[in-house]
Amino acid sequence: MKTIPELAQAETDAQPARAVQSPVLACLCLDFERDPLTRQTVLAASHQEAPLRVLRAFTLEDGTALVHLHNVSGGLLGGDRLALRVRLDAGSNAQLTTTGATRLYRPRQEAPVTFQANEITVGEDALLEYLPDQLIPFAGARFSQRTSIRLARGAGLFWWEVLAPGREARGEIFEYASVELKTDLIALGKPIVAERVRLEPGNFVLSSLSRLGPCRTWATFYVCRVGLETRAWLALEQELRKLAQEWTVPGETFCGISTLAAHGLVVRCAASHGRHVLPGLRALWRAAKLRLYGREAVPPRKVY
Amino acid sequence: MATTTVTIMKSKAVMDSDEHLQEPGEALAELRLLHLADSALPIGALAHSFGLEFLVSAGLLKVLDLPEFLRGFLEEAGMVEAVFCREAFRLARLDPGHLCADRWLEINDRLSALKPARESRQGSASLGRNFLGTVAGLGDFALLREALQASKQAGSSIHHSPAFGLTSGVVGLQESRSVLAYLHQTAASLVSACQRLLPLGQNGAARILWNLKPVIADTARRSAACALDDASCFMPLLDWAAMEHPGLETRLFIS
Repeated sequence: MKTIPELAQAETDAQPARAVQSPVLACLCLDFERDPLTRQTVLAASHQEAPLRVLRAFTLEDGTALVHLHNVSGGLLGGDRLALRVRLDAGSNAQLTTTGATRLYRPRQEAPVTFQANEITVGEDALLEYLPDQLIPFAGARFSQRTSIRLARGAGLFWWEVLAPGREARGEIFEYASVELKTDLIALGKPIVAERVRLEPGNFVLSSLSRLGPCRTWATFYVCRVGLETRAWLALEQELRKLAQEWTVPGETFCGISTLAAHGLVVRCAASHGRHVLPGLRALWRAAKLRLYGREAVPPRKVY
Repeated sequence: MATTTVTIMKSKAVMDSDEHLQEPGEALAELRLLHLADSALPIGALAHSFGLEFLVSAGLLKVLDLPEFLRGFLEEAGMVEAVFCREAFRLARLDPGHLCADRWLEINDRLSALKPARESRQGSASLGRNFLGTVAGLGDFALLREALQASKQAGSSIHHSPAFGLTSGVVGLQESRSVLAYLHQTAASLVSACQRLLPLGQNGAARILWNLKPVIADTARRSAACALDDASCFMPLLDWAAMEHPGLETRLFIS
């Protein structure tokens, strides 16, 4: 498994050497620990490079540390090479969210592919909730994201990502050049998810029934707790499927749930309107957290 | 006139190239490939629709949509399976007398991790195990038995495409021909499922499969240069259908 600098370097090496502007190289590193006295999770250490910023961690009522991820440039520019490294120490609980949608701006023609590497480590019995807003690729955007999540014994994860078709309000639909998302979930050293998605609207028809059909927005949501037996996941799959079916609107919103090869389940959603997606994901998150952890999911403050 | 003569000579050369089939080994390889890719091989392929059944029951997939749908299927899922088929083929050729069991398990575990829908994942694993078990019993194929044993011991799945690739490598077939044959039988199997799910007659089915051949060839060609880590698949509606399939009350197919 390559480290973030190695991944960024590999991506840079793979680019044609014709960029005329220096790309932004920035890393945001966050280390969370559980304070044994207060039983609350604290942001024990952070390393921040512009444009990536975290102001502070807020303590939620259940002791979870809530952090808002900021990109002060307002989005990702062509050629940016950003990295997020998050570590949760044993027993800690952290919730990460964004302050708004992540915009993938139209790049200069000569700019390399925008690259984001996420390297996440969730320690024993720790829990990470990653609940960002949508990714919005502008016309011409070229984006590649590589996410690696390592889960230790008893580690938990709620992780979603939502991909919009573009700036829908101005009729900019599927005008981006390419979006590539590579996500690996490794539990106890074994791969349980290797999601590989590459969308190139100019080369492959996204409105084909084999892909999005009548839908425009796509979401994926992983729910994991390492060590839970298969039958428990099958029971949760059944339970969440009922919720998902309430959310499904024929011809508009499609939501499916399935157990993974081990330690978790995945929710896949395709919807004709992006506004239907996040409320549905939150409903599934609440139900899954209650079942797996016996406590309420606390939405990020911006949702109040 | 000169051009016509050259063309005729070239055609004759192509026809004469069939002479390689006069070699007993080559002819045997061709026949074995036909056998391995035959839908009559008893591995249970006819029992799986990999989500198509639910897509049809939801009224989303109709006969008229099939050519474009299957084209997309081959470009996405077909591409992934072709890459994994190649990888296992190359593994078989790495050291013909010995299986690198760790790599074999890694290939299959990785393919499991790429398949989000439980029933489709299990369907692929069922076909793969049946395929390898069936072929291992047809001759003295020590490497195939090793693969079966390694997967059993590790409690790991054996998926259809790597099983096909490994077997093709072991029995001495050509890599690209094997990938083409694998993709073709996958497409044929899906068309066959559609015949049972939709008002699709035999002639219509034959026409669809015939017209898919350029896509099959293109997918096989692209897969030759695709790394395992880059093999991607974006089929959200089929994922959804495959995930919903367990809830279907009356089912023709296991997946």
